[in-house]
Amino acid sequence: MILRPSREDVKVIGWGVGRVILGVGLIMTVPLAVSLLSTEWNAALDFLVGILACVVFWLIMELVCATERDFRWSHGLIVASGGWLVAMVFGAIPHYLSGHFKSFLDACFDLMSGYTTTGLFLLQDLDHASHGLNMWRHLLTYAGGQGIIVIALTFLFAGTAGAFKIYVSEGKEEKLLPNVLGTARAIWMISLTYLVVGSAFIWVFLLKEGMPVIRSALHSIWLFMGAWSTGGFAPQSLNLLYYHSFWVELVTLAIFVIGSFNFALHYAVWTGNRREIYRNVEVRSFATTILLGTVMLSIGFGKFGLFRGLGEFFRKGFYNLASAHTTTGNSTIYSVSFLREFGFIAMWAVILVMAIGASACSTGGGFKGLRMGIVFRYLRGEVRRIISPETAVVPEKIHHVRDVWLDDAMVKGAMFIIICYVVIYALGAMLGVLYGYDPNVAFFDAVSAGSNTGLSAGLVSPLMPAALKVYYIFAMWAGRLEFMSVIALFSFGGALLRGRKAGRKAR
Amino acid sequence: MKGRRVRTRGFFRILAAFAVLVATVFPWCGTAQAAEEVSVEDLISEMQKYDGREVEITGEAIGDVMMRGDYGWITVNNDAYAVTSVEEGRDFAGYSNLGIAVWAPRDELKGIQVLGGYKNKGDEVRVKGVFHRACPEHGGDSDIHAVSIEVLERGRAIPHPFAWWKLILALALAAVALALASMWRKRTASSLSPARRS
Repeated sequence: MILRPSREDVKVIGWGVGRVILGVGLIMTVPLAVSLLSTEWNAALDFLVGILACVVFWLIMELVCATERDFRWSHGLIVASGGWLVAMVFGAIPHYLSGHFKSFLDACFDLMSGYTTTGLFLLQDLDHASHGLNMWRHLLTYAGGQGIIVIALTFLFAGTAGAFKIYVSEGKEEKLLPNVLGTARAIWMISLTYLVVGSAFIWVFLLKEGMPVIRSALHSIWLFMGAWSTGGFAPQSLNLLYYHSFWVELVTLAIFVIGSFNFALHYAVWTGNRREIYRNVEVRSFATTILLGTVMLSIGFGKFGLFRGLGEFFRKGFYNLASAHTTTGNSTIYSVSFLREFGFIAMWAVILVMAIGASACSTGGGFKGLRMGIVFRYLRGEVRRIISPETAVVPEKIHHVRDVWLDDAMVKGAMFIIICYVVIYALGAMLGVLYGYDPNVAFFDAVSAGSNTGLSAGLVSPLMPAALKVYYIFAMWAGRLEFMSVIALFSFGGALLRGRKAGRKAR
Repeated sequence: MKGRRVRTRGFFRILAAFAVLVATVFPWCGTAQAAEEVSVEDLISEMQKYDGREVEITGEAIGDVMMRGDYGWITVNNDAYAVTSVEEGRDFAGYSNLGIAVWAPRDELKGIQVLGGYKNKGDEVRVKGVFHRACPEHGGDSDIHAVSIEVLERGRAIPHPFAWWKLILALALAAVALALASMWRKRTASSLSPARRS
């Protein structure tokens, strides 16, 4: 029986969402500072309005939703999923005020794309955008990659016993440290250390490639944020093609591959367990699927015959394939080139690795290597069971930080999430085809949105139908939160409605 | 006399006809040999057609001139925003930007002084050069190896008049936030548990 949520339930959710929005307002102080330093006064006002709107919402929630009740699992799920939606609306305020978006829906699309580290965008005239707006776009992906809830947990949920329930609801199950706040802070420590080191590397190479000091410093931070968070945003419309640099491509490739690995793996390596790199199921799964993808890509390139040299294969083929597999979306080619310059086989190699995606509890999307590993081991176990004597017990295990024996519940859980992903990919592609897009392009962009990748074969543009924009926002959101929180939010809405009816009958 | 006049008139008629012929045919011959003027949109959507051909594009120099020895890179945007950017109040064209990378000798790049961005509308340039669909020299980049770059119009600073209405909106929100904050402070001082006073 589904119980009708009480007023206290609604209050605790409202209180949690209020804190998440305050977190969004706090993040906006960074682009505000960048705008002021760059003497971009109008952009600074955009962020000031955004921050104040967040503060007003937070205060209203604090006043209206004051309660002493703590979070239950269902509350955590709804705060995570609902919090992302509300955060999208508030985060879109500076975007819309910048004047680079045709509608508020377009601004919301870019916000959801940023938070979910997707990287698709509808912003127009990017090459004339302010430093402040660019900082906001990239910070969004960086913050969204760690998880908005992780940010809120780090600063704003101190002393809340139910914090772990919200943390898990954001698609992260790993508990690096016994304390969830410690876990959130560990995630930040790892990310900030990489930010300093990675940006410094990119900066050196941008200087070497002839960019001015200040611009290269800003671009290095933005490129790091885009790559590490597997967001794929870049400050210029040509994305990585703008820089014409093998070294910048190599460094960003390393950053987004490292960024796409599980935070638990990072933490294990940080604490001295280096063997985990070779033993971890997700690393093995990634190595296998990227190898298969590379073989498929080379067959495709061989047939099409455009990119022939090793350098061209690496910079135009492998880079974009790895970017797709890690669900990053950084690109060294034009969008239309996936269809026209890659050929059918190579294009589908990119689609398949996008669908598989990166690691669980990372900044990436897609099925995830962990689930691929679970399903592969399960299938291998089934084959071994068939060829073994009837009485034989054939156990299967995976290694993910520690050895885990596979059971039916784990396999069902993995299969359920994979099926959910397949459904959102297929629905998006169907919608695209119904609107008259080329089926390959429709599939490409639908998988890209659902797996939070951000590469586009040309469908995503400000001129795409509004219904497709709304669907893509949904696909990015549901894919990033891995469905459970989204299902909980819809169930909560349903329970609220049903509750009202029951009340009327009782009267 | 009359016969001489007729002959002179005939001579001028032949000369005029010749002049018309020269004026018509020579420019035509000239365009057959010159670079083909093309938009970046066409270039990107029909790369195979233009691969290895001499093309001419006109657009705004954007971002940075990145020197690599005696040569350097510049991005030239040939889109609606290259004429008037969103920051100058242009209506939306329905896309982000359409630009192409240009690889040019140092001397050709010297003339570019204003680069497009938030604060500037970049120099308007005419680039003539050979288009490569997948340049073997540059790791498969789609680019133009420029023979000449001509600055047609010098760039300018984009005016950003102060948006007073945004300031007023911010002040109004600040006033609301202050009022709410004082109410919240009064309430939290008396009612909530220590756990929630973080």
